[in-house]
Amino acid sequence: MSAPSSPEAPWPVRTVARKVAEWIGRLGEVWVEGQVAQLSRRGNAATVFLTLRDPVADLSVPVTCHRDVADRPGLELTEGARVLVRARPDYYVARGSFSLRATEIRAVGLGELLARIERIRQLLAAEGLFDVVRKRPLPFAPAVVGVITGRDSAAERDVLVTARRRWPAVRFAMHNCAVQGPQAAANVIEGLRKLDADPSVEVIVVARGGGSVEDLLPFSDEGLVRAIAACRTPVVTAVGHETDTTLVDHVADVRAATPTDAAHRIVPEIGEQRRLVEGLRARARALLTTRVEQQERWLESVRTRPVLANPERLLDGRADDVAQLRTRARRTVVHRVEGAERDLEHARARVAALSPAATLDRGYAVVQRADGALVRDPAEVADGERLRVRVSGGRLGVRVDREDGEP
Amino acid sequence: MSSTEQTAEPTTTYEQAREELADVVRRLEAGGLTLEESLALWERGEELATLCQHWLDRARERLAAAAPADDED
Repeated sequence: MSAPSSPEAPWPVRTVARKVAEWIGRLGEVWVEGQVAQLSRRGNAATVFLTLRDPVADLSVPVTCHRDVADRPGLELTEGARVLVRARPDYYVARGSFSLRATEIRAVGLGELLARIERIRQLLAAEGLFDVVRKRPLPFAPAVVGVITGRDSAAERDVLVTARRRWPAVRFAMHNCAVQGPQAAANVIEGLRKLDADPSVEVIVVARGGGSVEDLLPFSDEGLVRAIAACRTPVVTAVGHETDTTLVDHVADVRAATPTDAAHRIVPEIGEQRRLVEGLRARARALLTTRVEQQERWLESVRTRPVLANPERLLDGRADDVAQLRTRARRTVVHRVEGAERDLEHARARVAALSPAATLDRGYAVVQRADGALVRDPAEVADGERLRVRVSGGRLGVRVDREDGEP
Repeated sequence: MSSTEQTAEPTTTYEQAREELADVVRRLEAGGLTLEESLALWERGEELATLCQHWLDRARERLAAAAPADDED
C-alpha cells in the first residue's frame, strides 16, 4: 500500500490513520515535564485522563495512563502539580485522537522545584534580564498606577489604601486575577500586557500576599519573568513575605518588601512633599529678607554719617571760618586805624611842634621874602624890599625902612 | 542737580545709586571742596539716599506681596 495517494486513487481513512500512527510512533519514549492542568478519573475505570500543560508556552497535551500509574503511593497527583512524565506518543486510530501514554509519573518535589527555579534564574541571569542597567527609575508622582493582584485581597487593599493616603490624586488601573494555581502566571502576564499597552499607566505593581513555595511558584515562571522584562512601563513587585524571593523580584525595576512598601515606593507622601516645598519657600524668603535688611542697615549707616545727616555742620564750619576771618579782619583794621591815629597824633604833634603857630602865639613873627624864603639876617634884604610878615593873627605886607646905622 | 525719580520708575538701579552714594560721602568727608561743590554734592547725596530707600521699599512690598499667607496653589 505504498502507492502515492491521488484524487484518482485516494487512500482509505484506515490507511491514513495507520500511517499517522506509524509516524507518531517514531517519536519513541520521552520524559516530559509540565504542570497537571486537568485531572479526571471516571469511577474506577482503568484509565486516568489528564492534561499536561507547559506553563511557559501555554500549550497543553492530553495524557492517559493506567490508574496504578496515577495512584502510585507518594505521588499525590493534584491539579497544578508539577510532574515529570515518562510516556510514548499514542494515536488512537479509532477516533483519530493523539495523546501521550504515560508509563511513569513523578511529582516534582520542593527541592526539585527550587532547583528548577534556580536553573531558570541562572538561564535568565545569563541573558542579562536581571542586569541593574535594565532597571528603570519610577515616575515621581504617577497619575495612574496599574495594579495586578488578587480580587479584594489584603495585598490589593494595602496598595490602594496606602497609596491613596500618601498621594490622594493617584488613580488606579486594576487587573484582578487569580494569583495562585496553574493559571496564575498566565493571568498576570495578560494583566501586564494590558496595562503595559495602556499609555496612561505610568507604573505597574504586581502584589501578592505571602504563601508557600508552590503558591508563589507562578511568580518564578519563566514566561512571567520574560513578560515583565519586556514591559516598557516600570514594574514594582511585592510578592510574598519579605523573606521570600521569586524570580519576578529579580527582573522587576523595583522590588518592594510588602504591598504597603510598594505603595511607599510608587507615590510620594503629600504632607512630606508639602513640608519640603514650604521649607524651601521659607528659606528663600528668609534669604531675601536678610538681604534687604542688610541693605537697609547699610543705607541707615550711610544716612547717619555727619556729612549727610547734618550738612549744616559744613556750613557751621564755614560760618565759623567766616566769623573768625571777620573778627581777625576787624581786629587788623582796628589796629591799623589805631596805628594810623597814633601816627596822626605824632605827626600832628610834630607839626604842632614844628609849626610856628605857637611861636607866633607867643608874639613872634615870621618874615619871608617875596619868594617865601625866610629872613634870618637883616643883611639878606635890601632896603625898600617888600616882605611878608606872618603873625599869629595873620599876615601883612611890609617894606624895609632902615634907619641909619642898622645893618 | 534736580531730582529725577518722581515720574517714571527710576532708571538707576539700586546698586548704581548705592555706589554713587558711597562715593559722594567719601568726597564730602575728604573735604577740600568749595561751598558750592559741597552743597551740590550734599543735595546729590540726599537724592541718592531717597533712591536707595525707594528700591528697598519696593523690595519689601514685593516680598510682602508673595507672603505665605496667600492661598494654597
